[in-house]
Amino acid sequence: MEQSRKIQFRGPMKWGELDPNRRRSTHVGMWAWLWQRISAVAIIFFLGLHITRTYIPIIQFLLLITVVFHAVLGLRVILLDFNLINIRYRNSLLGVLVGLGALIFMIIWKGIY
Amino acid sequence: MSKALNSRRLVKIYRYDPSVGGNGHFDQFDLNIEDETKTTILDLLIRIQKTQDPTLAFRYACRVNMCGSCGMVINGCEALACKTNVSDLPEKCDITIRPLNHFPVIKDLVVDMKPFFQKLEASIPYFDPVDESMEPAVIRPDSKERNLIGLATECIQCGCCVSSCTMVNYHENYAGPAALNRAFTLLADSRDGLYDLRMNQVLESCYHCRTEFNCTEVCPKEISPTRAIKYIQLLALKEPRRLKRQNLLKPIHEEKTSGKESLPSADSGCNWLIEQHNRRKFLKQIIFGIGTASALVVGGVIAAAAIGPSLKRIPKRLVRLDKLEAFPVGKVSTIVMNDIVPNGFYKSEIKKPVIVVRRSDPDKIVVFNTSCTHLGCTVHWDESKKQYMCACHGGAFDEEGNVTAGPPPRPLDRYAFKVEDGYLFAEVV
Repeated sequence: MEQSRKIQFRGPMKWGELDPNRRRSTHVGMWAWLWQRISAVAIIFFLGLHITRTYIPIIQFLLLITVVFHAVLGLRVILLDFNLINIRYRNSLLGVLVGLGALIFMIIWKGIY
Repeated sequence: MSKALNSRRLVKIYRYDPSVGGNGHFDQFDLNIEDETKTTILDLLIRIQKTQDPTLAFRYACRVNMCGSCGMVINGCEALACKTNVSDLPEKCDITIRPLNHFPVIKDLVVDMKPFFQKLEASIPYFDPVDESMEPAVIRPDSKERNLIGLATECIQCGCCVSSCTMVNYHENYAGPAALNRAFTLLADSRDGLYDLRMNQVLESCYHCRTEFNCTEVCPKEISPTRAIKYIQLLALKEPRRLKRQNLLKPIHEEKTSGKESLPSADSGCNWLIEQHNRRKFLKQIIFGIGTASALVVGGVIAAAAIGPSLKRIPKRLVRLDKLEAFPVGKVSTIVMNDIVPNGFYKSEIKKPVIVVRRSDPDKIVVFNTSCTHLGCTVHWDESKKQYMCACHGGAFDEEGNVTAGPPPRPLDRYAFKVEDGYLFAEVV
C-alpha cells in the first residue's frame, strides 16, 4: 500500500516525443494541413509586398504560386468535407489537385507574360 | 525471402519506471529473428520479457488483433503489436517501440487509458432504441444506412487513432477520433433514440478535426474516423437551427445523467459545455473583429485605387514628332503623333494627328491639338480659307487658333514643345 501511493505516472507523451522515427508518422494529410497554414502566412506577406511594390514580376510570381497552392489545398478540404470524393482516394487527391494547381498557375502566368 | 530469415534486429524499447520517475529512456535489445514474416512485434516483446528483461511491462490479451490491448507506437506509427510483423517494417532497420501518445504512462509501454474511456463515455456510446419493441430488428445488408455505417462499428478501442491525432494535443476537450467514430455509428442509426443528446455532446468536438487523416492511416481495423467526423460535421451543418432552438448548447438534462455515475459529463461535461458556449461567443467576436478590420483594409485599398489616380501628379512625357526640317517654314503641316503609354502590364499605343505650324521666324512654332474644343472632332487646315475647319458642327479657327465661327467655346489647345538635337518633341500629359 505504501508503495502504490508513491507511484507516479509519467505525463502523456506528446506527439512524436522522443521518437527517432517521428518523420514516418507524418502522413500526407498532415503535410497538406501544415502547408496550407504556411502558404496562408506567405500570402499575407506577399500580398503586402504586392500592394506596396506593384508590377514586380518576381513578387507576382511568388504571390500567384502561393495563392494557387493555398487554393488547391483548400479545395481538397472542401471536397473531403462535403463528401464529394471518397476518402479512399485522399492521398492521390492531393497529388491530382497540386498538379491541377500547377497547370492553372502555368496558364495564368503564360497569359500575363 | 531468404533475407528475412535469421536476421538480427536491434530493438529499442521505451522504459519508464514509476518508482524512479523522470522522463524515461530507451533500452536496447539485440535479437535474432528466425523468420520475420512469422514474427510479430508482440512476439519480440514476450521473448525479451522471458529471456532478457523480466521487468519489461506491456499489455496484451488476445494476440489476434481483436482486443485492442497492445496498441503502441512502432517505428513512429501507431499499431497493434500483435498485428505488426517484423517484415512489415523496413528491412534491417532498428525497431523503436514507444507507448501511445496523449495518455499518461504508467510503466514502460503501459499507458493509462482512462482519458480515452472517459471521452468515449461522454459521447454516449450505447444504443437506446426509439421503440421498446422486443422483436429483433431486421436490417437489410444492402440498405443505405447499413452501408453508410459500414465497418465503423468494428472499433476495438485500442487508442491508436487518439495517439496519432495531433489535434488531441491542442484541444483538451476534443473527444478524439474513436469517440466521434462511435457517436457516428449511432447518429447515423435511425433506430437510436438519443440523437439530440449525443449530437449535443459531440457537436463542438467535430470542429476540431483538421482533415489530416492520421487516424485513418493508423487504424488497425481500417476504419476511418475522419469520415465519421465529416459525417457529424455535415449533420451539424444541416441542423444548426433546430439544435439552437432546443437550446442544446446548454448543459444536458439532469435526469439523463443522474444515476449513471460513469458519465463524466455529469459535472465536468457541464463546465465543458459552458466553456464551449463562451468559446463560440468569443469566436463570434473575433470573427466580427477580423471581418471589420479586413473590410476596412479592403475598402481602403479600393478607395485609394479609385481616388488615388486623380490626386496623383502625372509626369509630363516628351513625344518625338519628327525632324525639324520635316516641317517646312511658313507652312501648316499635319503629322500623326505616336504616343506609347505604359499602363500596368501592357503598353497602349495612341495615334493622334497634331498640327504643326512653323512660321518664318525659327522660334515661332505652334503645335496644335487637332481636337475641336467643342466636341472633340478632328479639325483640318483649309488652305484656301486660311482657317482650321471642324467638319462636325461648322467650327472654325484662325491661324492663331482663335474661334472665328461656330460653337467652339475656346481657342484650339496647344501642346508645349521642345526642340532637341534637331527633333521636335511635344509635351504630353
